[in-house]
Amino acid sequence: MADDLVSLLEHVDIMQLNCLNESAQHTFADIAKHKKLNTSQNFLLSDADEQLLLNIPACICALATRVAYSIVLVSPIPPKRVKLLVNRPSIGFEDVEDAEEPEVAQILDLSEDDVKNGKPIALRYVRFQNANSLHIFVVSNQGGTDETRIDAVDVLGIPVETTKDLAGLRQEEHNH
Amino acid sequence: MPLEATMMIIDNSEYMRNGDYQPTRFDAQSDAVTTVVQTKIDSNPENTVGIMTMAGKGPEVLVTHTKDLGQILQAIHTTSSKIGGNIDIPTAIAIAQLALKHRSNKNLRQRIIVFVASPLDGPAADEKGMVKLAKKLKKNNVAIDVVCYGDGIEEPADDGRTVLKSFVESANSGDNSHIVTAEPGNRLLSDVLISSPILAGDRSASIPDDLVPGGAGDAAGASGSGNNDFEFGVDPSLDPELAMALRMSMQEAAAREAASASAASSSTVPADPTDSEEEAMLKQALALSQQDQDVDMDTSAAAAPAAPSTTAAPAPASAPTPAAAPADAMEEDDEDEDAAIARAIEMSMQQDNNNPDAK
Repeated sequence: MADDLVSLLEHVDIMQLNCLNESAQHTFADIAKHKKLNTSQNFLLSDADEQLLLNIPACICALATRVAYSIVLVSPIPPKRVKLLVNRPSIGFEDVEDAEEPEVAQILDLSEDDVKNGKPIALRYVRFQNANSLHIFVVSNQGGTDETRIDAVDVLGIPVETTKDLAGLRQEEHNH
Repeated sequence: MPLEATMMIIDNSEYMRNGDYQPTRFDAQSDAVTTVVQTKIDSNPENTVGIMTMAGKGPEVLVTHTKDLGQILQAIHTTSSKIGGNIDIPTAIAIAQLALKHRSNKNLRQRIIVFVASPLDGPAADEKGMVKLAKKLKKNNVAIDVVCYGDGIEEPADDGRTVLKSFVESANSGDNSHIVTAEPGNRLLSDVLISSPILAGDRSASIPDDLVPGGAGDAAGASGSGNNDFEFGVDPSLDPELAMALRMSMQEAAAREAASASAASSSTVPADPTDSEEEAMLKQALALSQQDQDVDMDTSAAAAPAAPSTTAAPAPASAPTPAAAPADAMEEDDEDEDAAIARAIEMSMQQDNNNPDAK
């Protein structure tokens, strides 16, 4: 099963990506725009406090019916407690701050080791089926400081083969 | 041209009955609200605007996310008979935030515009609490604009800070939040808003660069005849169409002047004898048309000298030649064209014949 996992970032609609409480200079789009695990110097930094809310919607083309996600986070000021939600396109901080496990898909308490080296974190398979969007809520960070920094995010899973990526189709037409 | 969902919080407290802004504070505010709505909707067809009050019995949402100016006007009209009570800024902002959260198009950025004409008291006067609220707005990516006028203009503290100013500064992220203070005076509240940073982002698209004061074209601007800094005495940012029309009419007048000046100078000098052939022909044709007034179109086209003898003056002897010349030239052109087409067909035929051989 684990061998079939591929990065789902290429199925993510970059235009729809958004992150609450990101700083103006270091945005989520910076680390996700290449549609692969970020290796550039860019990073995502929190703004007002240490919390972050990342919204990752999938393209309509990758509507998933059987997707097992596991996520990869790489970060020098690593998140500690992370809540994951599925298919909740309009959440704000106040919705998720007090939410517990049946309501959110999974709560992870990460160790520094998990995030420093970008080790894939396995998720509960059953709760991430049929996921059209994934929301990562960073509750707190390891240092207890006011800034959380994330260098890279990757989502692993099995894309469901449906329609072709229509955005790519349009680009091809432009080329000739 | 930002893509935004805007929620406007208007003041409808007792202080709005004051007449220090013409005609009353409330009517001045209505005018300003209409201007903001129109600007927001014009700036992007997807933009939506909502409106709510923050005094009376309690904050009340009147219209959520609409593109229809009529609904906003109706809401203002209903509110005009419900002026009373005191404002509650923190609660109103919390409600506005909730209304914005449930916008249908998630691509729209959120913005709250607060009109304050009442003195701050209660929780709104607590700077610490307001800064905390601002941080919350910033975290949720909500931009906030505050318009202070009337009693909403605070006495600054010793260090020049006011509660609303620090509130806006705390919520500001990437220069998206602004505070505007409008003193009572001869400028309308809506005019103050139009030239303020609150609407600058929405209006900049419609104003050509050279009309913006201090812009590229300003240095090269023509005669500045106004009593203020603006060309023609009109602030181009208030009415770009008017400024554009003024400038265009100025340019046209200048062009006319230049043309008449050149015409005057050329009339004193005799026409150049080596003028282009075309002009000479035109002159002769004109002379011809003035003399033979009853020229039969059919005969004149074939041969000009065959003018009816009933017209007294015969055409000048030189007239037929140039008249016939262009016809000849046309025929030659036609022949050339025909020949070229024939050659082209011939060549393509040859190619067609050659191609099978090549294969």
